[in-house]
Amino acid sequence: MTETRDAAPPAADGGDPPDGSEFGVGEQNSDDPRIEFRGGKWASTVPLAFFIGWAIFQSGVLGIGDTNGLVVGALIGTTLGMFLVRGDWKRYADTIFEGMTQRVAATAIVAWLWAGMFAQTLQVGGFVEGLIFAADALNVGAATFPAAAFVLCGLLATGIGTGYGATVAFVTLFFPAGVLIGANPVLLFAAILSGAVFGDNLAPVSDTTIVSAVTQDADIGGVVASRFKYAIGAAVPAFAAYLIAGSVMSGVELEGAVALRESANALGLVHLLSMGIVIVTAVAGRHIVEAISWGLLVAIAFNLLFGLSSASDIVAFTVTEAGSLSGLPVVEVGETAGVGGSLYSGAVGFFPLIVLTLLIVAMAQIMIRGGGFEAIQTFLLDRVATTVRRAELTMVLGTATINGMITINTAAEIAIAPYVARIGEKFNINGYRRANILDANTSALGYIFPWAGGVLVGYQVMVGPDGLGAEYGPEMVVNPIEVVPYVFHGWFLVAIFVLAAITGFGREYIPDRVSEEVSRA
Amino acid sequence: MSVFDKFLAGWSFRGSTPDYAAGDVLEVMVTGEENGGHVARIGDSTLRIEDAPADAINTRIIVDVESWDDSAHTGRATYRKTVGESAF
Repeated sequence: MTETRDAAPPAADGGDPPDGSEFGVGEQNSDDPRIEFRGGKWASTVPLAFFIGWAIFQSGVLGIGDTNGLVVGALIGTTLGMFLVRGDWKRYADTIFEGMTQRVAATAIVAWLWAGMFAQTLQVGGFVEGLIFAADALNVGAATFPAAAFVLCGLLATGIGTGYGATVAFVTLFFPAGVLIGANPVLLFAAILSGAVFGDNLAPVSDTTIVSAVTQDADIGGVVASRFKYAIGAAVPAFAAYLIAGSVMSGVELEGAVALRESANALGLVHLLSMGIVIVTAVAGRHIVEAISWGLLVAIAFNLLFGLSSASDIVAFTVTEAGSLSGLPVVEVGETAGVGGSLYSGAVGFFPLIVLTLLIVAMAQIMIRGGGFEAIQTFLLDRVATTVRRAELTMVLGTATINGMITINTAAEIAIAPYVARIGEKFNINGYRRANILDANTSALGYIFPWAGGVLVGYQVMVGPDGLGAEYGPEMVVNPIEVVPYVFHGWFLVAIFVLAAITGFGREYIPDRVSEEVSRA
Repeated sequence: MSVFDKFLAGWSFRGSTPDYAAGDVLEVMVTGEENGGHVARIGDSTLRIEDAPADAINTRIIVDVESWDDSAHTGRATYRKTVGESAF
């Protein structure tokens, strides 16, 4: 490899060049005071370690996938760490602020807010119903239904960027239809989860895609393009596996089939174009906020033009008494005053994750200032990641381990991101490769294990008070542990990255191709 | 790089010891110090860098490759300029 370049590529978004200040690690050699802990530098890991323990107990042991609960765990962990500080606690408190104001968190937060608005606008615009129309038009039967569910859920998740949202939508609308026409419930649920993995991994508006790109100083569009080969490499055999398994695994006996076409709406498929605009614009190098904004404008136009949603589905001001403005299409009269609509709920839906992200970044900063981060990094580089192959395997298995424990996948990704960045950089592994390693396990394992958040959100749709089980019977409830072997795309994605680390497939070094400028907020 | 090229990049098996040639201009991350000088470890290959700033570790720099030994996967380069820092 002798390809050369004269200088760093120009910023694609006009943002400032990275200054290495993310998480403050780039300032390790500065004269900033370090925090002294009782018990030494390892004590600085207590806040994050407590949080990880809390996350394992909450999500892994108790099976509660509540991001707000993790926020409380992070708050308690951060408070506990303060009692271990020697001397003035002000430094500790200042470090919390220092961590929360790091630009890496702000970048992800801005992208999430736009992604949330876009995703919810596609949802109210009947995108799911459009995909159901496609399934009906293709005349899928019981044997091919899981394979179709994988592809269509993958499309939805790629469009809206949230695997959790795609899982809920498909388990609510697609799963009962499939089971009622004779598809195997376990296989069908697993296929839906596989589609969620695909979209969470590949979509430019996915929370995990955004975090993996910005924490590795890589542009989001370039990351999406570079991970396509891994995603499609796992999706093709997964699709074949669902076709084979679908013809082998029998369904359950239920009376009263529900036709797919009841909720089908061909017009919803116009949002394939809305989704395509975001993907193409982002991959072309435009700022992710600009890319999503174009997609959002087109989605709103389609919704209103084709009657897919009303203006108040997008923005709604609810007042308690009719007045002169209540005739406006975005003003409604209701029992409780408030603001609603897809733009509102899409953005607000990310608020818990935003707060959690800020706290995790603050805990990481405490580890950095206290020396714990450097100690762990030194151990890994000296004892474990001693060659580039072992370094990549360490990154793959490290992200797998953390994601197996912390089942809110984005939180796990933020926690492990600094190590992936620093270990990768020590071998000049470029940002795209690091971002892909970071996101693959995060996306896959978040939808495989029974305690994973992605599995639990789908399971809740089945067992809730008005869930599928209550409506159709116990045949509509799948035990989460049963789906583990059948989330084919997730397993193939993990396997591909283990093989990629061993064989060097897809490996790129920093001199090979430098990432474009990160889409900074 | 075109959008199409971005999708096609990396469809190959890359070895753990990349080799370069004299005259190459590379952007690398400075990964350590050795015998009073700076080094950039690229995979399991090593590039010794002369005239880099004292605080060059964990910065991304442009270098001119002066010589390269394909059998030992090591080379020597000269610092040109600093273009960035570590992501963390």
